[in-house]
Amino acid sequence: MENNYQLSRIHNYIHGLMSKEEMFQLEKEALEDPFLQDAIDGYRLQNGVDARQLSLLQQRLNRRVENTIATRHAQYYTWQRLAIGAAAGVLFVVLLALLYFKHFNGKAERTTDVTLSEPENLVAIEPLLDGGDATPVDGWKAFEQYLNNQVKDAGNGGEIIINFRIGKDGLPEQIRAEGAPDQALVNEAVRLLRSGAKWQGTTGRLKITFPLKEMKNSTQSNIIKPPHCFGVEKQGS
Amino acid sequence: MNEKELLQHYKTTGDLSALGKLYSPYMSLLYGVCFKYLQDPDRSQDAVMQIFEELIQKLRHYEVDNFKSWLHVYSKNYCLMQLRKDKRTTQVDIEDNLFESEQKLNIDDESKWEERDFEKLEGCMETLNEEQKECVRLFYLEQKCYKDIADLTGYDLNKVKSAIQNGKRNLRICMERKENGK
Repeated sequence: MENNYQLSRIHNYIHGLMSKEEMFQLEKEALEDPFLQDAIDGYRLQNGVDARQLSLLQQRLNRRVENTIATRHAQYYTWQRLAIGAAAGVLFVVLLALLYFKHFNGKAERTTDVTLSEPENLVAIEPLLDGGDATPVDGWKAFEQYLNNQVKDAGNGGEIIINFRIGKDGLPEQIRAEGAPDQALVNEAVRLLRSGAKWQGTTGRLKITFPLKEMKNSTQSNIIKPPHCFGVEKQGS
Repeated sequence: MNEKELLQHYKTTGDLSALGKLYSPYMSLLYGVCFKYLQDPDRSQDAVMQIFEELIQKLRHYEVDNFKSWLHVYSKNYCLMQLRKDKRTTQVDIEDNLFESEQKLNIDDESKWEERDFEKLEGCMETLNEEQKECVRLFYLEQKCYKDIADLTGYDLNKVKSAIQNGKRNLRICMERKENGK
């Protein structure tokens, strides 16, 4: 580039690396070109050309130019975003309006929307460590999963505390409920334990929480089971 | 694109990369100019960038014919303004500035010299003071560089430079006066 050529000439001129003819030539050019003369004066004051400074300057210029281009792109995208945002805003308003009308029309049925939240719908177990050391062979998680898959009829739901021993075959025996819970709960808990996984340890003590059901279903759950299915031995602990 | 096209392109589109291309070749010269006035490396670098920032606005509105000399005058003024803001005393040689403003006049007259012009020139040479006469003669006729002239005459290098610049200007004035007088 012409510019770099001039720069190296200035450099050579200041450091006395030029022949006399070259010096004369540059001086003559500078007489016709005050820009060049000023630059030579400046570099002479600085005692030379610092190429590093100039490449830093070049980098600054490049960055400046690129930044603006990047900013322009950013603004461009911002307009796109704004358009999308506006469209989303319109949709949102429309949706709100629809919901509003629906809300008015469906007000009478609204009571049916009451739902049971997920966790209450599940059977939960909680090992009580003060009364046992039993753990399911397949782990608590698997056992809980099994309970949730197999639970059929747990009356009105609720909590029940179950004590049992673990036989030599790893199956629970002497299953009994604590306190005086709903018989349907006891039945279901015993059924589930009997048909369930094997256990480790000697005695078990669990709190099982069955999901609560609405009262109107309760009549269905009070099916009387044959006594042999109860299998609960009342024992004093 | 050449310089003129770049200028026009920038003026119409505001495309900063065009301005960058236009500006970049002059940066090292500009740095030298800024250093001459500001005499500080960091300030000079900042000035070069700041001048670019100002060009972003100015070149969209101003009609610039000769970018190089316009840029030179613009940056020189910028630096002088900086110094004025500092309220620092500045030593700017008025001769340099005179020399500057005549610049445009003497571009196209190199070729059309005739015999009587040289006679006129000889006459005008006699009107110069000793220093100028000596230095101009050594420089233009014997094509010696400033350093040699300084060595030969015993003048300081800067004195040689300004003697040549001033001698050249005085010669021009003299020649023009004779031309008009005839």
